[in-house]
Amino acid sequence: MLLEMKNIVKCFGPVQALKDVSLNVDKGEIHGLLGENGAGKSTLMNILAGTFPPTQGEIFFNGKKIEDLNTKKTQGMGIRFIHQELNLVNDLTVYENLFLGEELLNKYGFLDKKEMIKKSREILEKMNLDIEPETEVRHLETSRKQLVEIAKALLFDAKLIIMDEPTTALTNKEIEMLFVLMRRLKEQGVAMIYISHKMPELFSICDRYTVLRDGKFIESGYFKDINERKATELLVGRCIENEKIEKEKISNEVLMEVKNIGSEGKFKEISFDLKKGEVIAITGLHGDGRDQLAEALYGVCKMDSGEVWVNGRKLGYKSIKDTVKNGISMVQRNRKERSIIKDMSILNNFSVSRFVSKHKKMFIDDKLEMERFNARKKEMSTKIGHHNDYITSLSGGNQQKIIIGRCLELNTDVIILDNPTQGIDVGAKFEIYKIINELAKTGKGIIIFSSEYPEINKVADRCFIMYKGRINKELTRDEFSEINIMHYATGANMEEKI
Amino acid sequence: MSQLNKNLDMKKIYSNYTFVFSFLVLVVIATAINHSFLSWTNLSTLMLQSSIKGIIALGMTLIIISGQIDLSVGSQCALVAGLGVVVLNRTESPLIMLLFCMAFGALLGTVNGLITNKGKMAPFIVTLATMSAYRSIIVQLGQGGPFNVEMKILMSFRKIAAGKILGMPNLAIIFIIITILMVILVKYTKFGRYVYAVGSNENATFLTGVNVVKVKTLCFTLTGFLTGIASFLLSSRLTSITAANVGMSFELDAIAAVAIGGTSMSGGRGKIMGTFLGAIMLQMIEGILIAARIPPFLSGLVKGIIIILAVIFQSKKGND
Repeated sequence: MLLEMKNIVKCFGPVQALKDVSLNVDKGEIHGLLGENGAGKSTLMNILAGTFPPTQGEIFFNGKKIEDLNTKKTQGMGIRFIHQELNLVNDLTVYENLFLGEELLNKYGFLDKKEMIKKSREILEKMNLDIEPETEVRHLETSRKQLVEIAKALLFDAKLIIMDEPTTALTNKEIEMLFVLMRRLKEQGVAMIYISHKMPELFSICDRYTVLRDGKFIESGYFKDINERKATELLVGRCIENEKIEKEKISNEVLMEVKNIGSEGKFKEISFDLKKGEVIAITGLHGDGRDQLAEALYGVCKMDSGEVWVNGRKLGYKSIKDTVKNGISMVQRNRKERSIIKDMSILNNFSVSRFVSKHKKMFIDDKLEMERFNARKKEMSTKIGHHNDYITSLSGGNQQKIIIGRCLELNTDVIILDNPTQGIDVGAKFEIYKIINELAKTGKGIIIFSSEYPEINKVADRCFIMYKGRINKELTRDEFSEINIMHYATGANMEEKI
Repeated sequence: MSQLNKNLDMKKIYSNYTFVFSFLVLVVIATAINHSFLSWTNLSTLMLQSSIKGIIALGMTLIIISGQIDLSVGSQCALVAGLGVVVLNRTESPLIMLLFCMAFGALLGTVNGLITNKGKMAPFIVTLATMSAYRSIIVQLGQGGPFNVEMKILMSFRKIAAGKILGMPNLAIIFIIITILMVILVKYTKFGRYVYAVGSNENATFLTGVNVVKVKTLCFTLTGFLTGIASFLLSSRLTSITAANVGMSFELDAIAAVAIGGTSMSGGRGKIMGTFLGAIMLQMIEGILIAARIPPFLSGLVKGIIIILAVIFQSKKGND
């Protein structure tokens, strides 16, 4: 046994992020670590990296108990991390990045450039990469950067390599190359922990699995004993709530048509239609093009091909104002960065969109502004203090209601909601679902981008699941289930296995 | 509970109108040092002295609220005033000169704004470059010498800045009128609203459909326009424009007035009235320094300290 993490508990204040989790990794084994977002994978790996200590539990490496971990110590023991986000410095060359923090010195104490370049070239050749060690990292494509990141982990003799979703930015061919490399390392006795959401990859490269859910250890076993459906079940939990809300019948009148749109490297071949009074959900894993698709429909991200029609008119996407005029408005994801104007009052935050698109005069109409605000406040049952208080004085849920109100003031036929319930409490979530369903009843067409199954289940009539930039599957309401959605979002249905 | 609310309200009023409190404190200090401080003559001189830089500072307020900065206003002032005097000598019409100054100032400001916002460059760098460029142009045109208003119109032209209406200096009246117009612009127009929004969260403002580039560029245009008016008034006051040093460190004074007036240096918050009082306070401080017999060479040091203190105060408030 190379690595043993025994009964690990980690608390952040009153929150228990890990509850009695164990993980064993053998020499020369590729171990798949599975779990949904927030299941505790990162916390566990951070403990191993020495970012913070566990509240309880023991860690053994090579049979020796280890304590007081820190980054230097883990590196010294031969544990290497390949992080999901790119940690390369763009302004430095490839070899400088590879040796960053562990530079080789010559006998005079100066940097030994020659030796570092030589070693870099060796490792890159071993990986079958034609990257010159002296090129600046900024000139590399994202997938290449990811491969350099991997090279960094291989440069020093590692005993255990942790790979946190290393393939998100890679093409299929590059993934194949990576897997060849991983198998070779495995033969040399190097162990790997492989974190991924993508089922085909996990099944093709990993030997064993450990599943975490809600910070708890669920199961460990061999991949050869289970199938992808079973793995998905373990991931989301067996008892899956199946409550359904009765939806009204939707008209057949098509409101919006999206015809085969694509954007280089982000998403492609996206087509769907939206009917009057319909709510469609678009979901998928992080990095599968969902965010960019949402932005493209609003006109922020450029599309290279395809057309979008609303109410029989083709959209030109000249400006955001133009998009709104043609009938699409949007509630942005990441409220704090993309919606909230923090130095302005609740009232001014609410009315800004209306002034941009509906108010033709140069001067502000105070009375109208107040009237609209009061009307909307009542409709959406928002609890606020004084309308001149800063918007940041409100709770997340009420802030979001103000932002949704801002969008509704535009009175467009199509409303896009990008992750509208991010970071707000359950009560406010429920009220926002109510607002969405009410809007649909009045004949609006709604597109909701979401990663939360319960949310999709509560509001959507149809659901489109994206995988690697394409729509992998369209589900109708009676086909909705968490397992079904995860099945397609992880690409478990794809026939061509890697 | 109501007591608590009252306290909160008081706190809010205090944090929104700190500049009024600092103004009152300064008035007390000034009166203690100079017993005739509150006399009409003294006050009108104070207004007269603070008005030209004050007009520029009003524009600077918009630029800073929108999250930008303009270091070139002093050089703009020299360039516009120098060429303005040439126009005056040719046409013998102060009105044509005023129109020229406003248009040319607006043009110089727009150049700053377009390079910054279309070119996506830091306004600090762009205006540092144009500060040097604008100054260099006017020094070359004047061949190092001054631009003098010709004798035949000197007396009548001079009256514009030196004149009074009902005992109130013309300059002070113009400063007050422009302040009122700016308050209206900032508080009651969509443009004013957008300036705050852009400075507070540019990305979110862009996503609501505001033409962010246009708004930010217009802030520079407007500042150029006001600097044009200030240049016109300055020419009338000096009647001789020495290209190399007219308008020197006006950017410092303008930014100082904005900072003392309580505008957040990181954008999003600020008041025109604050800058109005800020410009007057800056002048008062200079008066106090003279009265306290502090060597005039040190006034730059004092201004520098005041700017830093004002900004520290601002950031403390932002943390609440």
